Amino acid sequence: MNLFNIISELEKVDPEIMDRLSHRRSALSALGSLGKKMALAAAPIAIGSAFNKVLGQNNLADPTAVLNYALLLERLEYSFYDQALKAATLTPTLTGIARTAIETIRGHELAHVNLLKAALGAAAAPEPANGFDFGGAFATYPTFLTFAQAFEDTGVRAYKGQAGNIPRDFSPTVGGATVNVLTVALQIHSVEARHAAHIRYMRRGPAAGAQANIMPWIVGKESNGAPAAVYGAGNPVATFPAEDNIMQATLTLTTGLGATYSAADVSAAFDEALDNTTVTNIAKSVVTF
Amino acid sequence: MSNLLKKEGKEADLSTPLQVPIKRRSFFMYAGATAGATALLLSGCDDDNEDDKTPAAGTVNLGSKDIGVLNYAYALEQLEAAFYAQVIATPYANMSADEKTALTAIAKHEAIHRDFFKAAIPEASRIPALNPDFSSITFTSRDSVLGAAKTFEDLGVAAYNGAGRLIENPTYLLLAGKIVSVEARHAAYIRDLITPGSFSGSDVVDANGLDQALPVSTVLAAAQKYIKETINGDNVGK
Repeated sequence: MNLFNIISELEKVDPEIMDRLSHRRSALSALGSLGKKMALAAAPIAIGSAFNKVLGQNNLADPTAVLNYALLLERLEYSFYDQALKAATLTPTLTGIARTAIETIRGHELAHVNLLKAALGAAAAPEPANGFDFGGAFATYPTFLTFAQAFEDTGVRAYKGQAGNIPRDFSPTVGGATVNVLTVALQIHSVEARHAAHIRYMRRGPAAGAQANIMPWIVGKESNGAPAAVYGAGNPVATFPAEDNIMQATLTLTTGLGATYSAADVSAAFDEALDNTTVTNIAKSVVTF
Repeated sequence: MSNLLKKEGKEADLSTPLQVPIKRRSFFMYAGATAGATALLLSGCDDDNEDDKTPAAGTVNLGSKDIGVLNYAYALEQLEAAFYAQVIATPYANMSADEKTALTAIAKHEAIHRDFFKAAIPEASRIPALNPDFSSITFTSRDSVLGAAKTFEDLGVAAYNGAGRLIENPTYLLLAGKIVSVEARHAAYIRDLITPGSFSGSDVVDANGLDQALPVSTVLAAAQKYIKETINGDNVGK
């Protein structure tokens, strides 16, 4: 992970990030007192105090940046579903079970936003001043679902790309409960994957054009109308290959496992990670914020 | 990429896995040739048959540290692969064409996961092929099959989520991450087949928007009824 890339990317979003980083000490003390006030609120604060500890130990390049990056993506997703549920253009089509599902997903994204905000405390970056402008995303039901697929699949790749940056033994005890920060990140990650699968399943329905070729998992690097970059390679490509990757560790899985598997099945059996810069660029290609 | 495990592998035996030189040489020799691929497949099969003599049903110890986690994943993937292989071999009566396509794909994914762990874990440390016990599942019944599939997929997700923190080697953590999200996609799909819209029901995703993460002991206790051998995971990750 390149710290300077993160900062420069964050600076585009949040011009004050350098100020915040250089006033780390004051941010920390603010975080500390906030933490005390909310010490009984369990998980979010557990992460907050862990985050506090990481800063002290300097284990990560900059956990503020990592968590704020996640926060930005969760804010984007929450805002996307919130706007969709309020969009008059979608009122006739986004109904019944479909609407309930989107409400469920919006609820999860809001919970993730609140979790990350609590974890970051005073160091949490504010929402983009002008919010998120998704352009024509809500013009039609199929368009909405295409955007949703892009955001969810990207979200899964984004969390996967950061897992290795969270120390595995980060397990502060708060109010008698031990909370592991890596575990929490993984717990968010798999929920995003559930969302992604459901959105893809929705795209198979009649209202979305009955695109029966779209599976709940990612086959090859088929984008199905989403930006191709969502399924492409990141940087460096060796660590962040495209979704049609058929090689894991040192093995070519189509032929190297003692049985022959199709490239489609092999690629679908593994999701790939993506670096933060590529993720940010994808987001900026479809959202103004 | 081929140096990834070597560079980051903390355990010596895992840094030279999978008879890599032989397979890579074979691959370059035969790349692009169908006949070559077949030859590679056959030679691979010979090795595999020797590796996996069926054990007498007894206790299988998963081992410790990262090897233990890999064996833990291998055990669960064996279970899932065997289950879906059976689902496809004896499909329930009213399985739609669409369901069959998707379940066949899932069966392949799980077989690939199983074979990947088998190849990645050095033979000396690897647990044997397990004997599944699916006597509690009625394969002619859609409800029974999808109910079991839901159990396996949600359990798999919770298992990987719980075991992530036990993994020392970041390369393995990333690999586990690449698999767990696919399991979560399966889980969501199976749940939607049972009850549309239940892809991330409140029984698996809590009020903080977090999926389950279960300790090894809890997962194995739930999985044990489907495996003839007794699985001992006491030292996984320790």
